[in-house]
Amino acid sequence: MTAYVLRRLFQMLPVLLVASFAIFAMIYAVPGGPVAVIVGENAGPEEIAAAIQRYGLDRPMVVQYADWLGRAMTGDFGLSLHSRQPVLQLIGERLPATLQLAFAAIIVALVIGIPVAIASAVKPNSWLDRLLSGWSALALGVPTFWLGILLILLFAVELRWLPSASRHVPLWESPLDALRSLALPAITLGTYVSGILARFLRASLIGEARADYVRTARAKGVPENRIVGLHIMRNALLPFVTVVGLMMANFIGGAVVTEAVFTYPGLGRLLIQAISTRDYPLLQGCILVILVAYMLINLTVDMLYAWIDPRIEYR
Amino acid sequence: MTETLARLKGLLGRLLARRGAALGLGFLALVALAAAFATVLPFDPLSQSVAASLLPPSAENWFGTDELGRDILARVIYGARTSLLTAVGAVVIAALVGVPIGLAAGFYGDWRDSLLMRCIDVLLALPNILFAMALIAVLGRSQGAALIAVGIAGIPGFARIARAQVMALRQLDFVTAVRGFGGSPGYIMFRTILPNALSPLVVQAIVLASIAILLEAALAFLGVGVPPPTPSWGEMLRTGKSYLYEAPTYAVLPGIVLTLTILSLDTIGRALTAILDRDETDASGETIGGRR
Repeated sequence: MTAYVLRRLFQMLPVLLVASFAIFAMIYAVPGGPVAVIVGENAGPEEIAAAIQRYGLDRPMVVQYADWLGRAMTGDFGLSLHSRQPVLQLIGERLPATLQLAFAAIIVALVIGIPVAIASAVKPNSWLDRLLSGWSALALGVPTFWLGILLILLFAVELRWLPSASRHVPLWESPLDALRSLALPAITLGTYVSGILARFLRASLIGEARADYVRTARAKGVPENRIVGLHIMRNALLPFVTVVGLMMANFIGGAVVTEAVFTYPGLGRLLIQAISTRDYPLLQGCILVILVAYMLINLTVDMLYAWIDPRIEYR
Repeated sequence: MTETLARLKGLLGRLLARRGAALGLGFLALVALAAAFATVLPFDPLSQSVAASLLPPSAENWFGTDELGRDILARVIYGARTSLLTAVGAVVIAALVGVPIGLAAGFYGDWRDSLLMRCIDVLLALPNILFAMALIAVLGRSQGAALIAVGIAGIPGFARIARAQVMALRQLDFVTAVRGFGGSPGYIMFRTILPNALSPLVVQAIVLASIAILLEAALAFLGVGVPPPTPSWGEMLRTGKSYLYEAPTYAVLPGIVLTLTILSLDTIGRALTAILDRDETDASGETIGGRR
């Protein structure tokens, strides 16, 4: 297992290399190159010359990339063009907020998604199944940002129960404030993910329910709730976990949008800020951090397999 | 060609027989007609009147007015153009690039397959919205940039489905026959296999149209999509969000149209999948205890 994890971690390196080089190359594809980005379009020749001198932009692109890479290896991702603060420090300030939101949203998604899936899979094509399937379709189809707006209108503007803009309050400092701040963003993002969970878990539960071992268990007189809870659930979780892993890309996208709706100070808003101010060192850093997070999640999902299904062994 | 058309027509008939799909088609037709005839309709999305800003819905302005006194319904109708153009354009880009990649990968199946599919995997590994945003950061904000970003995001879906179809079809007798008669790889891929692999690609086109509309709206909502003053549903939600206290309907009504459009496409896509799945089951003669 350890060897497997190490190999997977090692396999992440080429992907990161290619991705970081691609982002670097994209910056060079901008008309005028990175100089135009750094000094702006209306800069005079002195400013341009100074910028070229300062950032060493007259060297070949590959040399500049190697230079950036060498510093990135030691944890130096450069300074943000906009705020002049180290990129890694800016990201480090935002990361806990995003992780807290992601965690809360997954809890919301599981709390809604799993019961919905079980309730609809127990009697496929019943009125309850059709109602709940409709609900899943709705959860998937309603754009996250619009759902967020509706929730703000209801809970912040009309009822005045919760704040419309969320701050980041660490859970261990003030649990109540943290929950008040997290509630709406977590419900927004969690509802969307619950739609994905419910739809796929339902399909995989129904598939497993037809398997021979379930018939055997029934014939032996195993109680129905034990069949569903222990036999079917455990086997249905396997394909389900794959889907959850694949859906992580949507989850990250959803988080970026959700953070924008609630002006939540996470990584997603930092990324949008980097794009709108054309802050390339920051953009490079944000994308790489998100990519690493994405690959680590996928690795975790693969490791979960071994835990759920002892038949799977990693070498 | 006529045979393909007849098959698509038959499919449309069976779609209309399903209530949800028929409702979805109806709503989409309404949106498409409004978008197509926007210039003929008595709505102006650009005429401003500061005195009439942020009005609630009324007989004169069914959806109310925005912060510059522009008619919101007019902007929703013109926004439909942006959404539908992005959807159609993205599907065309994705299909034109993705389908040949998938066909070639599945047809040759050697190192060319590995190479092409690794490239597709890299595209697939990036979250759509992240990729689109990075691309727009480089290209600058424009309608073209949004279209290309959304289109590229759709390439992997088409490539994978086209590849799977070729793999399933290439060993069948009618393909072997064409090969025996000396059909070139290009002829076999595009004239023999592709016409028989259209149905799942049509479903994919609808799925992608829904994703494209959502992605375009999300980009506009984040402020990196189609630049103003071009009306876009996502942009309207973005601005409407700043006036939740003064004009709550501003952000709600365009959102309803956007959501119904996406739900319509999703419903049609699922209905089509169900119809095609049933066809396949009928054709293979499998019933209870089969592979489903």
